[in-house]
Amino acid sequence: MSERETDSGDTAPGDEAAEGEEFAGGTSGYVVGLGLAALLTAAAFAMVNLPLVWRPAVPMALVVLAIAQMGVHLVFFLHVNTGPDNTNNVLALAFGTLVVLLLIGGSVWILGHLDHAMMPMDRQMHGFP
Amino acid sequence: MFGKLTWSAIPFSQPIPLIAAGGVALALFAVLGWITAKGHWPYLWKEWITSVDHKRIGVMYVLLGLVMLLRGFVDAIMMRTQQATAIGHAQGYLPPEHYDQIFSAHGTIMIFFGAMPVIIGLMNFVVPLQLGVRDVAFPTLNSTSFWLTASGALLVNMSLVIGEFARTGWLPYAPLSETTYSPGVGVDYYVWAIQISGVGTLMSGINLVTTILKLRAPGMSYLRMPMFCWTALGANMLIVAAFPILTATLGMLALDRYLGFHFFTNEAGGNMMMFVNLIWAWGHPEVYILILPAFGIFSEVISTFSSKPLFGYRSMVAATLFIVVVSFTVWLHHFFTMGAGGDVNAAFGIATSIIAVGTGVKIYNWLFTMYGGRLRFPTPMLWSIAFLMTFIIGGMTGVLLAVPPADFMLHNSMFLVAHFHNVINSGVIFGAFAGITFWFPKAFGFRLDETWGKMAFWLTLAGFLIVFGALYVLGLEGMTRRLQHIDFTEWAPWLYVSVGGIGVMMLGVASQIVQIVVSIRNREALRDETGDPWDGRSLEWATSSPPPVFNFAVLPRVHGEEPYWTIKRTALESQGLGDEPDYEPIEMPRNSATGVATAFFATLIGFAMIWSIWWLAALGFVGAYATFVVFAWRDEEEKAIPAEEVARIDRVRRAARQAWLDANREQPA
Amino acid sequence: MTAKAQDPYRIGRGGGEDTNTGRGEGGPASKRTTVGYGFWIYLLSDIILFSGFFAAYAVLAKQTAGGPSPRELFGQERVALETAALLLSSFTCGLAGVAAERRKLLPAQLWLLATGVLGAAFLGLELAEFAEMIGEGAGPQRSAFLSAFFGLVGLHGLHIGVGLLWLGTMMAQLWVKGFQPQVLRRLMCFNLFWHALDIVWVGIFTMVYLMGSI
Repeated sequence: MSERETDSGDTAPGDEAAEGEEFAGGTSGYVVGLGLAALLTAAAFAMVNLPLVWRPAVPMALVVLAIAQMGVHLVFFLHVNTGPDNTNNVLALAFGTLVVLLLIGGSVWILGHLDHAMMPMDRQMHGFP
Repeated sequence: MFGKLTWSAIPFSQPIPLIAAGGVALALFAVLGWITAKGHWPYLWKEWITSVDHKRIGVMYVLLGLVMLLRGFVDAIMMRTQQATAIGHAQGYLPPEHYDQIFSAHGTIMIFFGAMPVIIGLMNFVVPLQLGVRDVAFPTLNSTSFWLTASGALLVNMSLVIGEFARTGWLPYAPLSETTYSPGVGVDYYVWAIQISGVGTLMSGINLVTTILKLRAPGMSYLRMPMFCWTALGANMLIVAAFPILTATLGMLALDRYLGFHFFTNEAGGNMMMFVNLIWAWGHPEVYILILPAFGIFSEVISTFSSKPLFGYRSMVAATLFIVVVSFTVWLHHFFTMGAGGDVNAAFGIATSIIAVGTGVKIYNWLFTMYGGRLRFPTPMLWSIAFLMTFIIGGMTGVLLAVPPADFMLHNSMFLVAHFHNVINSGVIFGAFAGITFWFPKAFGFRLDETWGKMAFWLTLAGFLIVFGALYVLGLEGMTRRLQHIDFTEWAPWLYVSVGGIGVMMLGVASQIVQIVVSIRNREALRDETGDPWDGRSLEWATSSPPPVFNFAVLPRVHGEEPYWTIKRTALESQGLGDEPDYEPIEMPRNSATGVATAFFATLIGFAMIWSIWWLAALGFVGAYATFVVFAWRDEEEKAIPAEEVARIDRVRRAARQAWLDANREQPA
Repeated sequence: MTAKAQDPYRIGRGGGEDTNTGRGEGGPASKRTTVGYGFWIYLLSDIILFSGFFAAYAVLAKQTAGGPSPRELFGQERVALETAALLLSSFTCGLAGVAAERRKLLPAQLWLLATGVLGAAFLGLELAEFAEMIGEGAGPQRSAFLSAFFGLVGLHGLHIGVGLLWLGTMMAQLWVKGFQPQVLRRLMCFNLFWHALDIVWVGIFTMVYLMGSI
């Protein structure tokens, strides 16, 4: 292909932007990322074990913390950002995320509905010898 | 030592598969013997088997696909004749357990090893040429993808003689495919063949997405890409997003079968409908993986033979991307009758109707492309026009099936069979034939014979309409699919009609074969000297036929849509080709046996897993890892083609172009 | 008539030279960008592979078939340790990448070694957990919930195992060949792979372990 090893205006995923230091640059970026991720993980474990929030809200709080931590990983470890040189990377990520959400959400919805509409399998089986 | 594999695995009691396999083996040995006798092995090894050239790999893909389409067609003939000879008291000639294997093999082979390789092959061959670049992003990976697909095809065909194939349909619905109900190796053959070829398909999807998004000729922005590249991008995005779901689902089925997991079983809380749910979450995008590239082919063909730019290019792009996204929201329409509530069915029914809008936009765009154009009707154009007419029937019956109450009546009937054959045949298969005849001169340097091509077209079209017209009627009369024996004698006339139709189709297939033979014999008369036999519009026609290994001596610079059309107009107006460029040495990737070695070990692993020969499976994994390390360790990835060689090859092309230009001097531009 | 009047909704072809924008007008991208992007696409497909198993777990999590439930099975100490090991290995892996960018061989190798050790520790903890569960009669054959659990967590473990094999091979190659461009590209891909596995683990410890112990 090409002789060059990097391009201007186009960045490989995981590489930091070609132009200058970003705020998440170099070793310090990884340190910040590690700190934030550790904080969020600790918060998630605390959420389950300590009476911090209203019990029925715990699952939602866990989901929020998980999404936040995934975001931290993406920004500080995988160097995903909104720069123009990252457009392709972010679009691909968005498409993948959409499919993941459709697949998990769709499956849960469809099969939850089925469970609701149909007699549970174990009860149905009791009728047979 | 050999796991479950014993002599009883070979079906000595069944004459049909044995005779068929014997015939195939004889033909295979004859070909191999001929190659050995003529001393063609070094050539084959160097120029084809280890080649990483996208053009060669594309041709091999198409070849594999065509052979497998033929193999699947034989299954189709057997199914039609069995049904026509097993009405009332007659029993036909196929016992149920054999018939079940045949319809399962027919679907599996046609989709995974027929249609997919042809479509992927065409994308592989055409996309880099249209983008004006020298190869795909990862050439060695490309070769690996192809050989893994071939490995899967080999395993499926092996099941004909060693053991048995699945009797579960082309998608092995649980719990029928669990060990309780399918204790034999048939489902295992299915699982491993599809897993291995699925990995190949996934890698080829990654490869082409990266190629289209990252490797394009200078100046070719997204909205200057030919429509085929756009649809290829859409299809490969779908491959990347959908094939992992297939891998996951079949992985769960394998865990159930091999290690006693309970994903889809009846017992211990397993959920059989989750199999159906997951497999169709892959299965529906798969439909669009097949059809989108075909849409691209029709766009290129219709625009070229209407001598006009494609109408509504941007709306076409939008419709393609719309289909890519929406195809992930319709999968439940394959199992409306499963028992989910009305709101689930309604949501997916509406989404299904909406996705037809994207295709509708495309149909109108093709019609308006033809409107007011200077139309020509060679074979590729005939396939495209037939597609426009017949695909609409398939699309309309599809929208009908998208309405849940109607689907409750028609689910699993012959009407459904007719519907999906209608869209796949007239969409994918007609598209494949249009593409093959359209780009054949680019690949081999001579055109296909038009007389036999048109003969094949009319016979195939007529046969197709007769077969599936009859099946539509049978479906409305209440006949269900996959019947080995028909009790209801009133259906007999239509079953005979469909057998007659398949006879006509057989003549069509024979004409295709004759077409190829006749064209090869007349190749001097059919030679394409200029590289532009159809008065084309995109960059693949700018290089010679067949293209040199590096495709373009100098990467073309793109200044607008339809770059080659612009180049051609400029040349005609200025009556010159422009100055000879400065040729530079070109670095091309070296050949590699990595692909074929990986596929060899993958076949070992698959075969060993099917027959529970654990030591062989372990050996296969070690071999695959060793292949990987050897590949990673090599130092020289590329070889240089010297500038003089590039210049020599390109001067021949320029001379041909100059001759063409001189011949067209009088013609007003 | 102007082009705008003929085509007011811009459904036709683009206009002049300058209106067409988009990535990649400058010709083929560099090898590093291409390889990185290809691997990125692979990772997305891998995440979707995981999402199939996540969907299965979400559907089957309540199907214990009278067997042990998540709350009875999962101890949080081990999960916390696993999470810490994996998070730290992600961090050391990133530092290995930074060292490689600066062409410092020894630090790069040491950070990679740390990544491998932490990854192996994670895998060891996970295998110990699996062995314990199977020993208690809570193996994957017991119920659909346990099948889904072993499927999902086992798939992640399998990825970690393959990653360790890759890491070892790459360290050997780095030792023998030094910072060749293709080795650097593989290092970049490994970084992406390892960080992505950590992201998947965030999903697993949240959905499987923490939600299971509520």
